[in-house]
Amino acid sequence: MEDKKRIGWFCSYVPEELIIASGLEPVRLKGQVKELRKVDSYVFSNICPYLKNILDSGLRNRLEHLDGIIFTNSCDGMRKLYDLWTRYVQTPFTFMLEVPKNRDKYGIRYFSDQLQALQKGLEKTYDVDISPKLQSAISLMNNRRVMFGKIFEGQKEFPPRLKGSELFSLCQEEMSSPKDDETLKLEDLAFKPRPSDSSNADNARILVMGNTLDNPTLFDLVENAKGSVIIFDTCKGLKHYSDLVEAGPDKIESLARRYLLKPPCPRMPGFDLRIERLKELIQNYSIGGIIYSNLKYCDYSLFEIPQIEQFLQENQVPLLVLENDYLLTDVERLKIRVEAFLEIVRGDVL
Amino acid sequence: MMKSSFQKIEAFMEPRLAKKPRGFDLFTKELASSMVRAYDEDVKTVYVSGYAFPTELLWAFDVTPFDFEIACNNLPAAASGNGSTLMITSEKRGYSRDICSFDRLIIACMIQGMLPKGDLHITSSYYCHGKAKANEIVANHEGKESILFDVPNEISMSSIEYVTAQLKEIASRLQSITGEELDIDKVREAIRWSNKARNSLQRINELMKSKPFPYNPVKACLLALGGALFWGSPLRDDIHQLIIKELEERIHNGTALPEKYRVLWYPWVPVQQTNIFVTLKEHSVSVPMVEAARVWWSELDESDPFDSLARKALENHHVGRAEKRVKALVNLAEEYDVDGTIHFATPACHGENIAFPLVRDAMKERGLPALNLEGDMTDERNYSSELTVSKLSSFIEILGYS
Repeated sequence: MEDKKRIGWFCSYVPEELIIASGLEPVRLKGQVKELRKVDSYVFSNICPYLKNILDSGLRNRLEHLDGIIFTNSCDGMRKLYDLWTRYVQTPFTFMLEVPKNRDKYGIRYFSDQLQALQKGLEKTYDVDISPKLQSAISLMNNRRVMFGKIFEGQKEFPPRLKGSELFSLCQEEMSSPKDDETLKLEDLAFKPRPSDSSNADNARILVMGNTLDNPTLFDLVENAKGSVIIFDTCKGLKHYSDLVEAGPDKIESLARRYLLKPPCPRMPGFDLRIERLKELIQNYSIGGIIYSNLKYCDYSLFEIPQIEQFLQENQVPLLVLENDYLLTDVERLKIRVEAFLEIVRGDVL
Repeated sequence: MMKSSFQKIEAFMEPRLAKKPRGFDLFTKELASSMVRAYDEDVKTVYVSGYAFPTELLWAFDVTPFDFEIACNNLPAAASGNGSTLMITSEKRGYSRDICSFDRLIIACMIQGMLPKGDLHITSSYYCHGKAKANEIVANHEGKESILFDVPNEISMSSIEYVTAQLKEIASRLQSITGEELDIDKVREAIRWSNKARNSLQRINELMKSKPFPYNPVKACLLALGGALFWGSPLRDDIHQLIIKELEERIHNGTALPEKYRVLWYPWVPVQQTNIFVTLKEHSVSVPMVEAARVWWSELDESDPFDSLARKALENHHVGRAEKRVKALVNLAEEYDVDGTIHFATPACHGENIAFPLVRDAMKERGLPALNLEGDMTDERNYSSELTVSKLSSFIEILGYS
């Protein structure tokens, strides 16, 4: 495999296509430290633990394998992380991608301009011409979305084709390994699915939603308690692979449309859109219970949870809100809560 | 309850103003009056975050702007240190205490049925994203659409176009709810008033540089936030003219408190009662400038009103890279010849709080101590008077050494 320069990216609204077409390797950013040591002297304690882990990783040179990072204006914390990063850490290439919150024609036009600015930034820094390779990068990522679509489709079955933990690992790998890495065997999983494990047929069917989740512990806890995470719709799950980039005369605009119009994350306006999607997922995947995994101090989720809770109560779908510190260090506490929740979902308790 | 609270303020202020007109009293009375008017069945009420929206546009229409954040958070309950009694209503509905107390109070007022009926619900994306979510929740509760005035974090031709287009969209919504056609001359008139008030605010800020400091920093900050609703109305300049008169008199008569040290305060002052300013006063520490009172925008161009209002939003010191704001704060520290700075940290103000080390380091390079004072805008459960005195006392000692 060719040794390419790596570009880290945070948010599901960053088009990997532009990085790939630059001849660079996109890597979704994860916190690299298991214990925070330096960051507390830079930021307050009640700040998103994911951001803190990233900054701590940077301050301790654990992200030196990256040649560049694309930030997004996804939340107040992330916006300021960019300011702190460029002051206290620094990376050869950094870019702040503005993601509009309005998804109308003006938002799409503005986002197209932002993507053009990113294209120019990459071209200038790495002395490349993106345009000739953009279509093949779009095709590559569309192809992956189609394959993931098939894989997620298999989760509708009883029992599902893959364990939630397997699906989670697959998504994590897809977002962090080179795009020409064939060890993922996505095609096999998509088009030649293996038989599902019938021993899981009676497991409670769980949907995990919420914000960033990089730790498989939650999936293990559910599986150990006779549950199956059928689907996860976090920003690193199903939602990330939804919708294709449509062919069009202006490829940048096509990218802007796909990314801005894909199923929204909690940062976007429209609680109703998110609830409508949740309703569809519950029906299509025969979901018995929802786990909302929420990073501490994430305002978007904190405002969303009561809306979700009200909807699920009205529809008699059990909900477990699990706040976490990104590293999921309080695993015993989580275990008790997950076990109790699964008893409720299975109907073991009234 | 909310309406009657503002009626009481109105009734209290009227005789005071008749006796001796003061700028801050006029502002308080007019703010209360506009809040009361928002409950009137015959008016078109537009919810807005005055400090984060170019309100000049609203004054071009026959609407009553209602600053839902200021209204909910300046209730006597919040101002007298009982905000949490009301906030608990929202916490019982699942809104975490990690959410900003300002927003919890808005949702609590909504649940209690204290808010006026809104015809349009507008807020913006800058300063913080919490208010956008609170606005959407209130609008949904009323079955109304919420509008997010989305201001990107960079200024370019592209972002100006994006923001301008949104302002035009908002104008067309205002046309729909009022049934009036947009009269561009009215927008221009609002811009002229805004520019006039901008000039008079600059005059106030010049007078604030006097030593000893002749005014009250809390009033300056509250006027900057609550009074933002009046940009575009002649009232804003009327308020300023009265304040200018008071300041000139005080400077001329030498009416000011003893001043040993001067500090710059940012970003805003708590609404709840605290012992902060009393402690500073006891130690002869004045606050000649609060960040919120700064004039950050260029004079508006009435020949291109929408573009100009878009630029006003984009030039806000909380929009863009932190270094822009840090530079502005450093300039303020120099202009007002301060001995140190105080950052008032309200817990859920994440974007603001994360930027603190950048400001702290910039001030440190200039030999200015920077205190991070933790408190809360309205939730008294997050405020400790003893800890505050202790922190302030230590800081004042440091001011002496530096």
